[in-house]
Amino acid sequence: MSIVELEDVSFQYKGSKEGSLVNVNLNIEQGQTVLLCGASGSGKTSIIRLINGLIPHYYSGELEGEIRVADHDIKKTELHELAGTVGTVFQNPRSQFFSVDTDGEIVFGPENIGLEPKEIRARMNDVVAEMNLEEILGRSIFDLSGGQKQRIACASVAALMPNIILLDEPSSNLDFDSIELLRGIILEWKRQGKTIVISEHRLWYLKDAVDRVLYIENGRLAKEWNGEEFACLSEDEVKAYKLRPVVLEEELIKEIRGDCSSSVCETDPSIVLKDFYFSYKKRPYLILKKKFKESDGDLLNLNIPELKIPEGKVIGLVGPNGTGKSTFLRCLCGLEGDCKGKIISDGVTYKGGQRLKMCYMVMQDVNHQLFTDSVESEVMLSLKDKDTKRCDEILDSLGLLEYKDTHPMALSGGQKQRVAIASAIASDAKILLFDEPTSGLDYSHMEKVAELLKQLSLSGATVIVSTHDPELISECCDYVLGLKHGKVIYLKESARD
Amino acid sequence: MKLDPRTKLFMIFVVSLVVMMSATTPFLWAIRLSITLIPIILLITEKKYASALRFLLAYGTALVLTFYFLSAESEGLIASLLIGYCGIVVQFMPALITAWYVVRTTKIGEFMSCMQKMHIPDGIAVSLAVVMRFFPTIKEEYSSINDAMRMRGVMLGGGNVLKMVEFRMIPLLFSCVNIGEELSAAAITRGLGGEAKRSSVVELKLGVADYLLMTFLTAATVIFVMFKYCL
Amino acid sequence: MEKTSNKLKAKDFITIGIFTAILFAVEFAFGMLGYIHPFIVAAYVVILPLASGIPMMLFYSKVEKFGMITIVSVLMAIIMFVGGMGYLGAPLIIISGLIADFIAKSGNYKSFKKIIISFGVFNLWICANYFPILVTADSYRQDLIDGGYSAEYVSNLFAAINIKTIGILVVLAFVFGCIGAVLGKAVVKKHFEKAGIV
Repeated sequence: MSIVELEDVSFQYKGSKEGSLVNVNLNIEQGQTVLLCGASGSGKTSIIRLINGLIPHYYSGELEGEIRVADHDIKKTELHELAGTVGTVFQNPRSQFFSVDTDGEIVFGPENIGLEPKEIRARMNDVVAEMNLEEILGRSIFDLSGGQKQRIACASVAALMPNIILLDEPSSNLDFDSIELLRGIILEWKRQGKTIVISEHRLWYLKDAVDRVLYIENGRLAKEWNGEEFACLSEDEVKAYKLRPVVLEEELIKEIRGDCSSSVCETDPSIVLKDFYFSYKKRPYLILKKKFKESDGDLLNLNIPELKIPEGKVIGLVGPNGTGKSTFLRCLCGLEGDCKGKIISDGVTYKGGQRLKMCYMVMQDVNHQLFTDSVESEVMLSLKDKDTKRCDEILDSLGLLEYKDTHPMALSGGQKQRVAIASAIASDAKILLFDEPTSGLDYSHMEKVAELLKQLSLSGATVIVSTHDPELISECCDYVLGLKHGKVIYLKESARD
Repeated sequence: MKLDPRTKLFMIFVVSLVVMMSATTPFLWAIRLSITLIPIILLITEKKYASALRFLLAYGTALVLTFYFLSAESEGLIASLLIGYCGIVVQFMPALITAWYVVRTTKIGEFMSCMQKMHIPDGIAVSLAVVMRFFPTIKEEYSSINDAMRMRGVMLGGGNVLKMVEFRMIPLLFSCVNIGEELSAAAITRGLGGEAKRSSVVELKLGVADYLLMTFLTAATVIFVMFKYCL
Repeated sequence: MEKTSNKLKAKDFITIGIFTAILFAVEFAFGMLGYIHPFIVAAYVVILPLASGIPMMLFYSKVEKFGMITIVSVLMAIIMFVGGMGYLGAPLIIISGLIADFIAKSGNYKSFKKIIISFGVFNLWICANYFPILVTADSYRQDLIDGGYSAEYVSNLFAAINIKTIGILVVLAFVFGCIGAVLGKAVVKKHFEKAGIV
């Protein structure tokens, strides 16, 4: 008997013009692991939301058809009644926590449904043992890395012991090693006989874990593979479906983990970085700020005495999470005032606030850097001479001209990112920095970003992009810069085809 | 040292109460100081040395300035700015330290359990817990927005005060609304707001330290009020 | 959607918590200005309604159920108390919140006119913080001087806020509350409605 049944389901979000799902029929058997793939906005997330009841009880709209999940008629079931039946791990680890401490988060669900304290403690011990969470117990969630947060989120769901577990793009903000851990958790759930539904862009880590793969296109189930068929798909087929690769090359994996032997190649022409030292650990009790030096050694989160980066190229910045990639970018563009590094380009030295003018960073969360009420004014804000023709040119080159008067926040994630890139171009910065620009994007959007980065470098800018996506490196990076514990391990030409 | 959240709430209550009544004699100041020192000592027992020291320094400086360099006759711009600063610190720092200590050392779970014991409706408890959880989030979001503004060179909004406020507030609100949506979805799918009575793994028990502290605080308040208003 | 219940649900309580936190952060940021000069303390009735208009208008459009404003005012009263602002004003804060809630409810949280008035009334809570200055005027004055404020600051403070001016301040708080509502609504329209969030 099927545990999840969608019968002729169509759904349209309130206020949107087109249907998000069209006549979807889907039966999922108890114990199956199902992967939903397809482009952004194809309806993967909507299917997840149908199963956990967020549609129609949280996100309203027009719903047709029947949905039955573990003998509950979703339309007539209150959300909290599903708490012990369906559990959901969401995409963004930053926003799905109710508590501030990890322990409290794990027991949050069981407390809500009013279990006995003894039972809750027993469950918590089981979950902690299963997922090896001992080391991150009793910590504040604000001190955890994205990967650790996502593991706590999984534990919090598991503590409710749901039969059905849904994961909505769980790897979006994770690095390679954290994804491996996530994979371990999913395999453990599978072993326990849970029914698992995963919506995901990154496919490589799931290829031997899934029983069924559903390809969704424009709100319809367009194609279905079983697990073996999916693992055997050829590279060309995967590309034709606009999916991210199913198999990763060993070489790329090594590169992305910062696992290559240490070597720094010479490049010319180059931009020289000097004296980039920084630490988040403040010297306790000192009121005066200390200038960091190389001799501070292990205290430093960033330790780069000198580095020559190739000018006018795309450089991929890699290394595991927490190794100093973001710190490097922040210091480079002068956002960390305590870092006194110098940038020497064309014989001119830039330091302090001058760095802010020659660098421009597109942040991981672009929502933070969009201020105005239309795409046009957003670009005009960065243009120094307020030239409307130049503004139109820039927008046209990014395919944003038709959205000129739209509010940036009304755009999709990929479009918002392009608006941020447009204002970066408008600011005439010589060095453009990108902090994980493709982490939550599907293949075709990632391809577009890669294309754009190449174009930017061809027009003379130096592009540094931090990433966990091997695909992005092979698509567009000329060089790869590997960081470990804040130090440069290698800089070499990318192994791209 | 592990204090019961109820003791902590009581401490907030007492400190806020005493802060409201200004100290007028050296003896009253002594009581007020000793009450202020309690959260600082508690911070030290929690190994939060840096914040304890920072509070102590700020409070101490303000006190010294107030008593030795400023008087009721001080006039002029610098003096009035200084008075402003000292005024904030001396008046509000004790309450601030206590609140900081309580927020820093009380887990949301403990807090919810404590609210339940005190028969506060679940709704209000949830709202208050979210307020506590959300301050650090606002701080995080705001500093990202600030970074972005610095990078784009719009810190001063082009000299326009309205723009200055707008550029800060709008992205902040967008972020908070988004986070709020996701936070609620995640909380509700884990059963928040169900009919079942919430349980709690945290078992609250008043220990010796709790009773000692509460007795001390009560005594200090009573003496303070007596000396201020009755004698 | 089948039914939209008028009772506050878990989601609403979370939204209320978030907006209270934002409201407080805004009040705190602008409230700090008051220590520069006592006249600014009196000018809170102008500054705070204008500044908090934007988040509050967004809030009004987000929950639309009875109790939303009341709970915010209860939480604000608690925070104000914890922050050392005293207990005298707390009941007044809650009363103004409750009345504001009733006014907005009479317009089903849809009528913008009612919302304007409701927000105007809500802002009377600012005056609640002046309460100790009025009720205990003489002893409070001596208290402040003994507590380290200069005579100049205190006399300015009392020149700006006293029994005679409080009427004006209350009216100002209300009027600027209404203006803040209109401005806030304009910003919400400009950004949030245009972006399709509300």
